[in-house]
Amino acid sequence: MIFSLELKKLKRTGYMPAFLGGAVLAAAVPLLHMLVRSETFIVLPGEPLNILYDANWQMMTMLNILTIILCACIIYHTEYSDNGAQKMAVLPVCDNHIFGGKFMITVLALSGMLLFEIIILELCALHWFSDYQVQLTDLTKNFCFSLIASLPTIILMLLIASACQNMWVSLGIGVILVFTVSVFPKENLFLSLCPFNSPYQTLALVTEKGKEYIFLVTCIAETILLGIAAHKLEHVRRYFS
Amino acid sequence: MNFISLIGVELTKLRRSKIILILLTPVVIMWIPSILNAKINFNLQGIPITPEHNFFIQGFMGMAWFMIPASLLICTTLLVQTERNHKGFLKMLSLPLSSTKLCLAKFTILLLLATVQMVMSIGTYYLCCATVSQLQNYNFILEPLYVISNVLQIYAGAIPLAAVFWMIATLIQAPVFFVGTGLASLVPSILMINTKFWFLYPMSYPFYLLMTAYGKAAEGIYETEIAWLPWLPTAMLITITALAISCIRFGVSERR
Repeated sequence: MIFSLELKKLKRTGYMPAFLGGAVLAAAVPLLHMLVRSETFIVLPGEPLNILYDANWQMMTMLNILTIILCACIIYHTEYSDNGAQKMAVLPVCDNHIFGGKFMITVLALSGMLLFEIIILELCALHWFSDYQVQLTDLTKNFCFSLIASLPTIILMLLIASACQNMWVSLGIGVILVFTVSVFPKENLFLSLCPFNSPYQTLALVTEKGKEYIFLVTCIAETILLGIAAHKLEHVRRYFS
Repeated sequence: MNFISLIGVELTKLRRSKIILILLTPVVIMWIPSILNAKINFNLQGIPITPEHNFFIQGFMGMAWFMIPASLLICTTLLVQTERNHKGFLKMLSLPLSSTKLCLAKFTILLLLATVQMVMSIGTYYLCCATVSQLQNYNFILEPLYVISNVLQIYAGAIPLAAVFWMIATLIQAPVFFVGTGLASLVPSILMINTKFWFLYPMSYPFYLLMTAYGKAAEGIYETEIAWLPWLPTAMLITITALAISCIRFGVSERR
């Protein structure tokens, strides 16, 4: 029930168009890259998909994270503008379920976005690299990896957005975090596990170092921890509002 | 009400918004990696640049590429959202004041906030310089005139960008689309700067100015002279058009 309620609230906020726009922009990155400079990539040694990932994934992830920030801001902006959150508080609905519903919606929307981007990457590989064949298991693995790597970012951003009543404060914190993290070195394992930094990793890179299980387990653990933090925050908030 | 008192009113609205804190955080964070990795500045990899210039340019790189446009975006969101909440626009428009004046006063506040950030960034630069000079036993401090003129140039280059953001904010009512277009427009600026048409893209101006300063400090990295001729008229045209459109469209949707 809460899920459909949350979906209904997002009508006419521009939430879904924002995800769609982000997906199209991110998918345009490899297409444009290949249209303009395909000669430089075709001659590179290695797996076609890895070449494409190395060339494009940084920028695509940046767009993905910016979309997550934006959508987390907007999903809580609908609550805080015109005192929607206070109205929700008098309904017989648990506060935590609202957070859960919003998390589920964001995860679903992001998974659609990631799937679209990965399919575009595969199509690019298929079109420009003559000897490339699509492998469904690889596609699924890449998709699941990217989705799990994004989970901590999603939940942390939702946590920030739920804590700040003004949309621009959460937006500011999100943008500062993206910027700070983009300065960090990507090779360091500990730093690469931080939220906002983990989505930049690709499965091929992590497998090369043999760290894929540590990476996935840490990401899921971070998500659970942040989920518990969100649960506690709802309790604390009740004393102040 | 004259323009100065309008600006005073706008400043009162910003009380308790904690915007200075949000503007200060990136300025401080930006320098932490620079202090930790100060040794890198001695490893020049064949680039003909002095370590102190390298420290200055590398430190401001992230600022010019991402943080100045992003801060302007955050400030614009703040200025617009404080009015949108509780129907502030309607209250403003019911006053016997010209909406053009109101619009320009808000834009001036945007520039003022950018100036505050600029002063803070120069201050933190000198603080970090002093720290690093102590740690590395090497004088990293550049003369104030060079630093201030360069930083001023970078921030002045952000004025067309601010005007464009302000125009988008008045044109697009839904905050999600405004912030979305703003954030999305930041990402390709690094690509645009390498094309011939960089001067048409206001988001790349601050980074272009910084890269020219880099080119001046180190021969052969980038152009050493700012290409004033196609750029300055275009930038002025963009600024004036954006401001005119935002003045005309200011509060139109609320007036319906």
